[in-house]
Amino acid sequence: MVELSDNPEGAKEEAQVVASADLVVGFADAKAGEHLERTIEIVRTGLEALARPPQTAIAYKSGYELPPSLNASLGNDSLRLLSYAPPALDPSASVANAIATDYRAIASISEPLQPKAYLLIASDIDNVTPQWIFDLTQPIAEHNFDLVSPCYTFHKFEGILNNAILYPLIRSLYGRRIYNPLGPDVGVSAKFLWQLLRTDSVKPRAGLSPRITIPIGAEAASRGLQICQANLGERKYPPVDWKNLSSLLAEVLGPLFQMMERDAPVWQRVRGSEQVPIVGPTLHQVDDAIEVDVRRLREPFQLGFRNLQEIWALLLPPKTLFELQRLGRMSQEEFRMPDELWVRIIYDFSLGYRLRTISRDHLLRALTPLYLGWVASYASEVEKLSAAAQHRIERLCEAFEADKPYLVSRWRWPDRFNP
Amino acid sequence: MWVQIQQALHQSMLRVITKVANLLPGIVALIVALEVAIIIAAIVGYILRRSLKSVQFDDRLASWGLGGLSEWSPANSPTLLTIRVVCWVIIIVGFLVGVSAFDATLTSQFVERLFGYLPNVIAAVVLLLFGSVIARFLARSVLIGAVNMNLQYARLLSIGVKWMVMVLAVAMALEHLAIGGEIVFLAFGILFGGIVLALSLAVGLGSKDLVSRSLEREASRTTEEADDPFRHL
Repeated sequence: MVELSDNPEGAKEEAQVVASADLVVGFADAKAGEHLERTIEIVRTGLEALARPPQTAIAYKSGYELPPSLNASLGNDSLRLLSYAPPALDPSASVANAIATDYRAIASISEPLQPKAYLLIASDIDNVTPQWIFDLTQPIAEHNFDLVSPCYTFHKFEGILNNAILYPLIRSLYGRRIYNPLGPDVGVSAKFLWQLLRTDSVKPRAGLSPRITIPIGAEAASRGLQICQANLGERKYPPVDWKNLSSLLAEVLGPLFQMMERDAPVWQRVRGSEQVPIVGPTLHQVDDAIEVDVRRLREPFQLGFRNLQEIWALLLPPKTLFELQRLGRMSQEEFRMPDELWVRIIYDFSLGYRLRTISRDHLLRALTPLYLGWVASYASEVEKLSAAAQHRIERLCEAFEADKPYLVSRWRWPDRFNP
Repeated sequence: MWVQIQQALHQSMLRVITKVANLLPGIVALIVALEVAIIIAAIVGYILRRSLKSVQFDDRLASWGLGGLSEWSPANSPTLLTIRVVCWVIIIVGFLVGVSAFDATLTSQFVERLFGYLPNVIAAVVLLLFGSVIARFLARSVLIGAVNMNLQYARLLSIGVKWMVMVLAVAMALEHLAIGGEIVFLAFGILFGGIVLALSLAVGLGSKDLVSRSLEREASRTTEEADDPFRHL
């Protein structure tokens, strides 16, 4: 995820003297600074595999002293070090917000170096390998791609928000199959990154914070840029903060719905989707049979249905409300949310966001119980599946694409077309 | 003596007839003024109805968060409420014009006091409108937030917040209208203070078992979350 805006005020900088660099590798994980020797080794080994290893600066979170041995070894190296200190965040800030703030600080502090490309890595440094560095850098350095988006090993209960909404919706809208449009581990050309920095929609409104996050994959697709994906492997996801789930939804979906509003002339003409090139070693499928407690996902949905019907009725057509009513009466064994229902809910909420039917923040947070209902349905279906769960997500994507005419009709004639 | 009685009766009858004759033009003027005002009100009402319906006034008010106005409006239609208010204002103005035909001084004093009071009425109406909008917004925020926090009494909380804000807005409006005076202050203070005190006692004493069970449930949920297999992003 990239938080893209102007340079932050108050960001403290401790930088060694770095003249220029072709590539900036930025790490959001604080452990990258704590184990700097290992971090440098990973980056060096990854870049050595390139045809022409670029002049590189490694940006890490400040607060760690450089080991004396490192100072000496860097003397004749093409690698340079750059420390950054992102502005302090509210302790209740979501993971997305925290990563976006770090990326913003990295972009800001490395701007004087005028690099040609950035590697922005948020994952746990213990998972990062030299192959990651190579696969995220090579397409940009040697094949002029603008964005290298990550692909991670598929686990059926990880990246659920991505699988439920982001990937299928962006695939349906922009016609590009970008598995992780939010990243967070990405390679990006400096030209694209600075284009995003100047995008009006991310400029901070006077007196308002925090800044929003942007699905970088969707931005690249909407601009028709060259995108590829890199198979990176395992990713260690941060734990869920259930109390802040609605804030996470608001922070992630808000910018996406805003993009829909801005790019309506673009996505309305797109039909179907095409595969985005993938580089790197093939990802192994994982057999993870996990027992889950679906009841604690169904209860919020039922509570939401009992209390939020009046609000949902402002956004959803009667047919959808009737389907939700039927769903609310189902037993735990029968509880299945049809893909067509979920697709229409997302499309109707995006339309409600555009029309400002209710306050946008209320709209995004009112989606939370419906999202948890989908997760409950999905978890019930795939609990006993392993690799086949990935096909389940592909079926959902096909449903998003198949029902796109519904979105287009409602978008163009919101008052006239209301099933 | 009988002649004097006859003269007295004749003079008093003359005075009454003279007064009635003096009042008659005023009464006729009042009736004419009222009739003209009613005709003008009907025409303005017709034009207003056509205009407000063409801009979908009721739907726009609902989308602006003033849907509560429809609950107070006749036939749940703010359009009808607006038309009736405007028509009655025109009729009242016509009445004042007619009344001034009797005694211009009386009317001018009445009009002066009326227009002196008008800013208070406008301020009270604005307070009620804003109070209604804020109450609905806060009620909706609390409802959605409480549902997302899995609180079973979300609707109760939402209604409580809405009514507390409305009671505050009504008390402020009554203060502006100078209605009730100290009684309103006292009633509001007792009501508000009573609600807060009752909630404090309920949470502190009466519901301590419920609160501790709720806290225990939250604490065990935190432990469950650490083993939670779901990762959203």
